[in-house]
Amino acid sequence: MNVCRVLGGGVNRIMLDRQLFSLPGVPGMLVGLCLLTLLRAAAIVGQAWFLATAIDVLRATGDLSSAAVSLGLFLACFIARQLVVLVQDRALESYAFARVAHLRQQVLARLFREGPALVSKLGTGNAVTLVLEGAEQVETYLRLVLPKIAGVLIVPLVLLLFAFPLDWVSGLIMLIVFPFIVFYMVLLGKTAKAEADKQHDEFNRLANHFVDTLRGIDTLKLFGRSRSRGKTVFEASERLRRATMKTLRTAILSGAVLDLFSTFSLAAVAIMLGFRLVDGTIAFFPALVVLIMVPEYFKPIREYASDYHASLDGKTALASMLKAAAEPAVLEPTPQSAKRAPRAWSESSVFRARAVSFAYEGHQALRDVSFEARGFSKVGIVGASGSGKSTLVNLLGGFAAPSSGGFQADLACPEWQKQLVYIPQDPYLFHASLRENIAFYRPDADEGQIEQAVRAVGLEELVQSLPQGLDTLIGEGARALSGGQAQRIALARALLDPSRHILLFDEPTAHLDIETELELKERMLPLMEGHLVFFATHRLHWIHDMDVVLVLEDGRLAQWGAPDELLSSPGALTRLFDQLEGGAR
Amino acid sequence: MRSSLWKQDTWIKPFFKQYRRALGLALALGVATFSFAAALMFTSGYLISGAPLVVSVLILNVPLGLVRLFGVGKPILNYFERLASHDWVLRMTSSLRLRLYRSVEREAMAFRSKRSTGDILGLLAQDVGHIQNLYLRTLFPLVVGGVLYLALVVCTGVLSLWLGLAVLVLTGLAAVAMPLISVLANAAREAQRKQARARLYDKLSDNVLGVADWVFSQRGADYLASHENDEARLRALRHRIERFNRLRDLALQVVFGLIVVVLLAWAGTRFGGLPDGAANWVAAFALGFFPLIEVFAPLSVASQEAAAYRDSLERLNDLPDPDAAPSGVVADGLGSAERAIPREPLDIRLSGVGFRYEGAHRDVLDGLDLEIPFGQKVAVLGRSGAGKSTLAGLIRGDLALQQGEATLGGVACSALGDDMARYLGVIQQRTYLFNDTLLENLRIGNPDASEDEVREALVRVGLGGLLERLPQGLGTLVDEAGMRFSGGERHRIALARVLLQGAPVVILDEPFAALDPATERELLDVLLDVLADRTLILITHHLQGVSRLDRVVFLADGGVSLDGAPAELERDSAYYRRLIALDRGGLQGA
Repeated sequence: MNVCRVLGGGVNRIMLDRQLFSLPGVPGMLVGLCLLTLLRAAAIVGQAWFLATAIDVLRATGDLSSAAVSLGLFLACFIARQLVVLVQDRALESYAFARVAHLRQQVLARLFREGPALVSKLGTGNAVTLVLEGAEQVETYLRLVLPKIAGVLIVPLVLLLFAFPLDWVSGLIMLIVFPFIVFYMVLLGKTAKAEADKQHDEFNRLANHFVDTLRGIDTLKLFGRSRSRGKTVFEASERLRRATMKTLRTAILSGAVLDLFSTFSLAAVAIMLGFRLVDGTIAFFPALVVLIMVPEYFKPIREYASDYHASLDGKTALASMLKAAAEPAVLEPTPQSAKRAPRAWSESSVFRARAVSFAYEGHQALRDVSFEARGFSKVGIVGASGSGKSTLVNLLGGFAAPSSGGFQADLACPEWQKQLVYIPQDPYLFHASLRENIAFYRPDADEGQIEQAVRAVGLEELVQSLPQGLDTLIGEGARALSGGQAQRIALARALLDPSRHILLFDEPTAHLDIETELELKERMLPLMEGHLVFFATHRLHWIHDMDVVLVLEDGRLAQWGAPDELLSSPGALTRLFDQLEGGAR
Repeated sequence: MRSSLWKQDTWIKPFFKQYRRALGLALALGVATFSFAAALMFTSGYLISGAPLVVSVLILNVPLGLVRLFGVGKPILNYFERLASHDWVLRMTSSLRLRLYRSVEREAMAFRSKRSTGDILGLLAQDVGHIQNLYLRTLFPLVVGGVLYLALVVCTGVLSLWLGLAVLVLTGLAAVAMPLISVLANAAREAQRKQARARLYDKLSDNVLGVADWVFSQRGADYLASHENDEARLRALRHRIERFNRLRDLALQVVFGLIVVVLLAWAGTRFGGLPDGAANWVAAFALGFFPLIEVFAPLSVASQEAAAYRDSLERLNDLPDPDAAPSGVVADGLGSAERAIPREPLDIRLSGVGFRYEGAHRDVLDGLDLEIPFGQKVAVLGRSGAGKSTLAGLIRGDLALQQGEATLGGVACSALGDDMARYLGVIQQRTYLFNDTLLENLRIGNPDASEDEVREALVRVGLGGLLERLPQGLGTLVDEAGMRFSGGERHRIALARVLLQGAPVVILDEPFAALDPATERELLDVLLDVLADRTLILITHHLQGVSRLDRVVFLADGGVSLDGAPAELERDSAYYRRLIALDRGGLQGA
C-alpha cells in the first residue's frame, strides 16, 4: 500500500542516514557531486542573469536583435544546467550499480557458502527479496539521496550569495524562511509519524485484510461463507481508506506547508520589490534577477522532501543488506578447527561425538551427546518430536557447529560436506530437466551412468512416461513430481557420485504414502551399503536395518547400541515404540 | 494492441463513470494548482515590471492582490488536489477489491488447481495496488498535462495566431511527441526488462530453495557466476533505457528553453518599448511559463510507465466477469430454481465415476464405485495421484463429474452448491487461519454461534487449556507476535470450526501429513471422540490408527483395489499385513 508509506517519512526526510557514509566511495562521490552542483548553481545564476538582461532590454526597446545575445546565453545556461544533471546521473548510475553489485555479491556468496543455516535464519522469501528488490532499492536510494544532499548543501547557499549583493531585503527574506521550512518539516513529519504509529496495527490489519481473505477463500467456500464475505472486504477497504485519509491529511499538509512557504516567500519578495521599485530604491534589473532565483532557491529542499518512500525503503534495504553481509558467520572455520579438517571417509575411519551440546536462542536443544560409529555402518537416530533429532542432523550435516563438545573433526566445512549426500524429507527439485536434477552433484556424468542410476532407484517408469524423457523440465512451475519420485531422484543423485561415502537422511519417508514407502525401502537399503549412514526417522521399522541406534529424549542421548540389544529389555527405545503406536507392537 | 486492451477493459473504465464527480474534482484541482503557479509568476513579473513606472502604489493594488491570492492559493489548492485524488483512488480501490473478490470467489475451489504456478492470489492483490499507481502516476498527470496544454495553446492563440502556433508545436513536442517517442523507444525494453527480472526472481528463488544441494555439491561459485551474468545482462538493458531517458530529458529542456525564448521574443517585440505600462507584460510572459515545466516534464516518464501496468490490467481482465452468467465449469447451484434437499440418511453413493484433469494423459478415476452409508468411518489410502483428493472434490461437488454419478442423500453432489456446507465439512491438510481474532476464525463455521458455544467447541477439541493461556481469550488475534499455533493446534481449531458448522459428514484430507506421530495419535483420539455420530472420511497416507475405523479403502488404477474392515483385511490380505507390519515398526528387513 504505497499511500501508507507516505506516512511517517517526515523525520527521515530531514535526518541524514549515517550508514550511508560508511559505504566506500560515498564521501568521494559526494564531493564530486558537490562540485557538479556548484556548476549547476552557476548555470542557474547565469540563467536568471541573462533572462533578466533580455527582459530588461526587450522591455525598454522592444528590439529583438539587441536582446539576441542575452537570449542565446540564457538558452545556453538553461541547457548547460541539464547537461550537468546528465553527467551527474551517468556518474551516479555506474557508481550505484557497482556499489550495489558488490554488496549483492557479498550477500549471495554468503548465502551459497553457508546455505540452509543462513537461509532459514533470513527466510527464503526474504533472502530472495533482499538480493533482488533490496539491491534495487538501495541503488535507487543512492541515486536519489546523494544528489539531493549535494543540492540542499550547495544551491541555496550559492543563490543566497548572489541575492544579497543584488538586494539584501530579498536575501534576508529567503534566509529567514529557510530554517522555518526545516523546522516545520521536522515538526510535521513527527506528527504524521506519531499518527501513523498510533494506527500502525490497525493499518496493517486492514491493509492485509484483502490478501488474507483471498488466501483463505477456499476455507470460506468450504463453509459456505465466501459469498457473504464480499461485503466485509468492501467495508474493510473503506475503513482503510478513511484511516489512510485521516493520516494523509497530516502527511500531505507537511508538503503543503513547504509549498506555502516557498510561494509565500516568492509573493513576499515580489511585493517588497514592487514597493521599492515604486520608491526607486532598487533598480529593475537586480529585482528581476532575484525574483527569478527565488523558486530555484526553494527547489532543492522541496525535492529533498519528495520521493520519501523510495528513500525510506532504500534506507531499510541498505540496513538489511549491510547486516546480511556483515553478520558474523555461523560457520566461519576458526584457525584452530581448520587443523581438524576431516579426511576422506573409509572403511577404517571412526566417527566420534564427544559431549556435543547445542544451544539455540537460550534453548538447550542438545546436551552432552557422545557416541561412536566405525567405517561404513548405519546409524539410526530416533526420538519423539522435540527430542533433538533435527538439531543433531543439522550438526552432522555441518549446517551448524556445536556450542560445546565436538566431533572427531570439524564438520561445518567443505571437506566434510563434499563427502556427504543429504536427503531431507522433501528433496528439492530444481526447475531444470530431470537429467540436470539427477546429475546435480556430477554435471559431467555420462549417459550410461545416468541410466544406471535411473534403473537403480526405479525411475525408469517415470522417464518413459515423460514426453521428453530425461530432458523433460521438472520442478516449480513445470511438471510436478510426487514425494516418492523426488526421493528417488535424491537417491539417484547420491548414487551418481561414488566419491561421497556418507549419507545423511532426515525423515526421508515420513510423509510418503505407505505403499510408496515400502517400495522405496527396498531400493534404499542396497544403496546404503559401503556408506556411513545417518538415518533420522520416526518411522520405527527402519531401525531393524541399522547397525547402531541413537535414541534421543529431551535433547539427551538416552540410549545407544545395536537395535536388537536395545529392544531386548525395557528402555528408551521400547518406551518410544509404546508412545508412537499405543503399544500395538 | 494497446488500444484493444483498453477497449475491452472492464476493470478501469467502469470506475471512471461510477466516481466521475470526485474524479472531475480531483482533475479540476490539479489543473487549477498549476494554473495558479503559472499565474503567480506571471503577475509577479508584471508587478515588478510595472512598479518602477507608476507614480502611485495604488495602481499596483490589483497585481499585488493577485500575487497574494496566487501565492497562498496554489499550495492550498495543491493540498486539496492531493487529498481529493487519493480519496478518489482509494474509493475506487475498495470497489476494485470487491469486484476482484467476487470474481475469484466464483471459482474459488478450481482456482488453485487451474492457476497453480506462483502465488497468483497475492499477485492479483498487488495488481490492485498497481492500478492505484496507474491512476495517480500516469492517468492524472497525463490528463492535467493535456488540459493545461490546450489551455496554453488557446490563450496564446487568442493573443496571436503565430504565437499560438509556435506554442502548439513546441509544447506539443514536450507534451505529446516526447511521451509517444518514449513509449515507442522504451516500452518494449521496459517489458523485456520486466520479463528478465521476473525470470531472475524465479531462478534465484528456485536456487535458494535448493541451496543445501549447492552447498553440498560445492558448486555454489558456478551459480554465483551465472547469477552475475544474468544481472549484467539486465543491467545492459537498463542502461540502454536510462541512456535514452537522459538524452530525452536533455531534449525536453532544450524545448522548454526554446518556449521561454519564443514567448519572451514575442512579448518583447509586441509590448517592448510601448508606453502606458504595456511593456510590463514582457516579464510576465517570460516568467509565467516556468512553473508549467513541472507539468510537462514528467509526462514522458508517466506514459512510459503505463506500459508496466499492462500485465496487471491483462491479468485482471482475464478473470471471469462476476456479473456474467455462470460459466458452467463448476456447477454453482445458484441457477436452479428449486433447491434440492438431500434425504436422510445421508449416504454417499458413487457409481461408475470417471474423472480426468485437463491436459492429463489418463483418467485419475475410471469407473469407481463406492458407497459410504451414513455414520461410517472410512480411511481412504492410495499412492499420490491415485485420486484420493479428486474423490473428495467430487463428493463435495467442487469438481464437475465427467462420468457416472455421485450423490449425497439421493441428490447429485454438484447440485448443492454453497448449500453443501450444511451437510459436509472438510478439514484440509493445512488449516488456514485468518488474521483476525480466534473468535472470528471459529465463527467461520457458524457466524451465529455464541461465545459460549465457541468456547465449548474449543474445550471439546482439547484446546480449553490453550484458551485459558491466551492473553485476550477468544479476542486474541491469531497472528499476533509470538502467538503462533502449532500444526496440531491448527487442526484442532479446524475441527472446532467443523463442530460449530454441525455438518453430518466430515472429510479429512490428509490432516496428519505434517504432524509427528504422537500428535497424530492424540488428534485421531479427539477426532473419533467428537465426530462419533457422523460420517468420517479420512484420507491418509499410512495406516497408523486405521484399525480403529470401520473400513479401509485403497485406491489404485482409477478404482478401488482393496476394501474392507481393518480386521478382515488383516486376516485375508497378505499385502495389507505387510503394510501394517511396516507401519507398526516391526517389519524385519523389507
